[in-house]
Amino acid sequence: MTDTDVPKSPRDAGDPLVLEQVSLTLPSAAGPVEILRGLDVTVKGGERVALIGPSGSGKSSLIAVAAGLERPTGGTVRLFGQDLAGLDEDGRARLRRGRVSLVFQSFHLLPNMTAEENVAAPLEIARVADATATARVWLDRVGLSARGRHYPHQLSGGEQQRVALARALASRPALLFADEPTGNLDAANAHKVADMMFELVAETGAALVLVTHDESLAQRADRIVRLRDGRVAVSPEKAKTRA
Amino acid sequence: MTPLSFRFAARELRGGVRGFRIFLACLALGVAAIAAAGSTAEAFRRGLASQASEILGGDLALNTRGRAFDAKEQRVLAHAGRVSYAVGSMAMAEAPSGDRRLVELRGVNGTYPLAGQVTFKAAAPGVSSVQSAIAPAKAGGIDGALVEQPLLDRLHLKVGDQFLAGNLPLRVTGVLLDEPDRLARGFALGPRVLTNISAMQRGGFMTRGLPFGETARVALPPGARLAQAKADLHRQLGGLIRIRDREDAAPGIHRLIDQLEYFLGFIGLASLVAGGLGVFGAVSAYLEARKPVIATLKALGAEGQLVRDVYLIQIGLLAALGVAIGLAVGAAAPLVMGEIVKDNLPVPALFAVYPWPLAKAAAFGLLSAAAFSLAPLGRARSTPPASLFRSDLEGAFQIGPEIVGAVLATVGLAAMAVVTAPTPLAAGIMIAGVAVSFGLLWALGWGSAIFAGRARAGARGPLRIGLANLAGPHSAARTASPAIGLGVALLACVVLIQSALLRQVAEVAPRTAPALVFTDIPTDRAAAFDAAVARAFGQPLTDKIYLREPFVTGRITAVRGQPVEVAKIDRSDRWAYDSDITMSAIGPEPEGAGIEDGKWWPAGYSGPPLVALDTDVARGERIRVGDAITLSILGRDIAARVAVLRKVEVGGFGASFPVVVTPDALAGAPLRQVAIAKATRPQEAAVTRQLGQSFPTVNVISVREQLEAATDLFARLALAIRGAAAVAALAGLLVLAGAIAARARARTREAATLKVLGASRTQILSAYVLEYGAVGVIAGTAGVALGYAAAWPVVVRVFHAKWSMDWAGVAALLAAAAVVAGIGGLLAAFQALSKRPAPALRAE
Repeated sequence: MTDTDVPKSPRDAGDPLVLEQVSLTLPSAAGPVEILRGLDVTVKGGERVALIGPSGSGKSSLIAVAAGLERPTGGTVRLFGQDLAGLDEDGRARLRRGRVSLVFQSFHLLPNMTAEENVAAPLEIARVADATATARVWLDRVGLSARGRHYPHQLSGGEQQRVALARALASRPALLFADEPTGNLDAANAHKVADMMFELVAETGAALVLVTHDESLAQRADRIVRLRDGRVAVSPEKAKTRA
Repeated sequence: MTPLSFRFAARELRGGVRGFRIFLACLALGVAAIAAAGSTAEAFRRGLASQASEILGGDLALNTRGRAFDAKEQRVLAHAGRVSYAVGSMAMAEAPSGDRRLVELRGVNGTYPLAGQVTFKAAAPGVSSVQSAIAPAKAGGIDGALVEQPLLDRLHLKVGDQFLAGNLPLRVTGVLLDEPDRLARGFALGPRVLTNISAMQRGGFMTRGLPFGETARVALPPGARLAQAKADLHRQLGGLIRIRDREDAAPGIHRLIDQLEYFLGFIGLASLVAGGLGVFGAVSAYLEARKPVIATLKALGAEGQLVRDVYLIQIGLLAALGVAIGLAVGAAAPLVMGEIVKDNLPVPALFAVYPWPLAKAAAFGLLSAAAFSLAPLGRARSTPPASLFRSDLEGAFQIGPEIVGAVLATVGLAAMAVVTAPTPLAAGIMIAGVAVSFGLLWALGWGSAIFAGRARAGARGPLRIGLANLAGPHSAARTASPAIGLGVALLACVVLIQSALLRQVAEVAPRTAPALVFTDIPTDRAAAFDAAVARAFGQPLTDKIYLREPFVTGRITAVRGQPVEVAKIDRSDRWAYDSDITMSAIGPEPEGAGIEDGKWWPAGYSGPPLVALDTDVARGERIRVGDAITLSILGRDIAARVAVLRKVEVGGFGASFPVVVTPDALAGAPLRQVAIAKATRPQEAAVTRQLGQSFPTVNVISVREQLEAATDLFARLALAIRGAAAVAALAGLLVLAGAIAARARARTREAATLKVLGASRTQILSAYVLEYGAVGVIAGTAGVALGYAAAWPVVVRVFHAKWSMDWAGVAALLAAAAVVAGIGGLLAAFQALSKRPAPALRAE
């Protein structure tokens, strides 16, 4: 599988994410545990979808499967029209490159790289020529142009998540997965990061899959999918308010 | 590898090398040992090469046995270049007080030495040069002699005193310190005495048939080609005169240096293998800690190969750093040691930084790093990005380029160790031994972990905690015990071999070997000699304490009708064919003849000559019973048929001649007699002194003295060799330290949890000491068992010595392994307990 084997423009391939009857069962000492049980979810281009549900309902696992970080044990996952079942791990990595980004609750910044290098890293991996210049632009966008040479441990939690957001959006992905992006932040920082995320997603036109416990944050999405015990609890509902 | 992988690797290295201290130490230790061994050996080789002419005493050295060079030969030699002659013989030195001592007597002519200098001190008045010190006596005078200090001490003589060498009166003109060609002549049975060659003639030492030897040394004219000159002399003088050249001045020393280099290098290699677990552990622990970074990189779109390359570059750079540290230490150590001991070295040495031994050590280090690092790197490549969500996910060991590379590096390591060894077969056996031992120790570590897992069900308190840790996924039994075990095995092997051999020379040999050897007993006065010995001993002589046989030296010149071609004989068996060996003529079968094939001839046999051969002699030409051989004895060729192959017990009390012929075969030949005797110290002193009056020319060799000298040498070497072997044990300790360090954070959390659950400090300390002490006992016991398995065949099969077990040494090793590992546990516990529980649990 090479870069040329996957659609060049995700917008040409219909819905960026389609999950059909996706299930995930993991082994454990006490026997197999069913995490996801026949999920059907579709995310359209530019759509903002919030996944909400109690702990253990399978929200993060759904992101792992949808982003191709984990193989489902059943069903089909299509990213930009490409069935992930036909791709090995490296193939899935290539498919994500430049098209799919992730933001995590615990940031997952690369500890030995500066803020600027962290933002540039996915661009460098995707062999973008002006990675560092682009990184600087995006750090400026998240208000951290003065912190470019700082390492993650020299930044506050809010700043780290803003760097993670810049890193996720610098490649202008078609699809952004955000797993509890405000879960480790205080209220003020959480609000700031959420505002920034929705603003930038709107600006880039990326679709957003947002996992959150926060009902008010979920309400800013176009659509809410409620999960319970690995299943969609109720039919996807339209969010009441827009960001 | 792409520029991106180098860029990311450089960024990752900003985090420092803290987790790599053990990695660096393990690599540096092994490389330093190999580099130091190679550099030291090279320093000796260069030293020998730089003084090759001085060591040989000229460009070429030619030897005869039992005769001097004749006039024709002297003319040929004179034509080749400047020539000096030296005659060597054993002799009994006797002081006016009647004290006697065997000496190595040597007479040289006026051109000696051609190369180098004779050094001496405390010269008598008027002595300014070696030639003036050993000047031939004027009419009615006494010849001068330079003698070594031990002779003066033993005979209570001083410079200016007279003594007898055999019947030859000599006057001490100075104390002999060194001769330029001493190293090439090898081992001496007694103090050396240097005089002039005409004194040797006057003293009767050069009578044809006596066991003397003459050496002619030739200094070739400038521009002469060594090989051509050697070939010309071979052609003109015939093949029976042994010719050595300056490039092979001291072959025995060269072999010794080769063996020493390999022994020390092998210890370095073993410590690289033992330390390899430290390398493996450090790389695994580092990559385990980097798992979130690896998963993040993959989530950002990085392929497995990029991830692998990023860490391969880092590990490669760190391996290069470890190797560089090892090379620096290995290159510097011989320079420092050389400076310290430069005045006490027995062999000339040119200490310097030599590139080849360092390159060899670097190659060993890098191959070892690759062999032990690539598998964890493969695992890093396959780390699933989903581990960002589930931290228990790990990469799998899969067959891929990394595993293939690790296998190739291991094979390369073994192949290089074998190819660079002086004796590849022995090296192959040693490498295989290390590999098998390592495999067994590794399996034992896993087995112990499984056993601990089952045993913990029936345990309580600290014992249960200790057993649970031993059974756990990061068990020190699996990581540290193979490394410690290998170190202990090497140390145990060396200790057991040394103690068994030391006991052989110090206790077993004095009981079984003769105390005295008498040589040059005149055949016509043999009976009188027996009577003189009996009188001196104060008891009748029996076969149990005294044996006398005819003695002669000669060569095997043809086998099965074909002339012997020495070059075609295996190098280790040439000694029996390229120079004279001892022979005897014996009628009835001697007691303990050790016959392995054939039948001894009947007493009174008078048919065609028959011969009994030592199997070690027969091996070189694959001689079997019934084969025809030709012996050259005292200028006569004797055609004989092999009747007996026997195992000669060298050093035992018996007829230990490698060649024995039927008495008729040597009828009429001017044979001398040789005798061996068991004697108490007073009997030894009495016979040495009393034979001076009736048999002054009979040499009395004290085997007891030789054994005492050997015991002393062994004892001095023991500490040095054990110290070298301890390097491998140190590698084991490093791995233990690495295992402790890798688990430090987890231990801290574990100790905090245990404290929260109510465990006392003593209980936690006990649990950890039990855990690591058990690792020490398991590794120590297995190591000693493997050391025993390696040492026994060496002692019994290679050295033909009696096996004896050094229980004290074994107990000390076992105790040391358990105590050191237990202390490791204590340190781990103290480190864990030094942290307050609350922050440690919050970090969780």
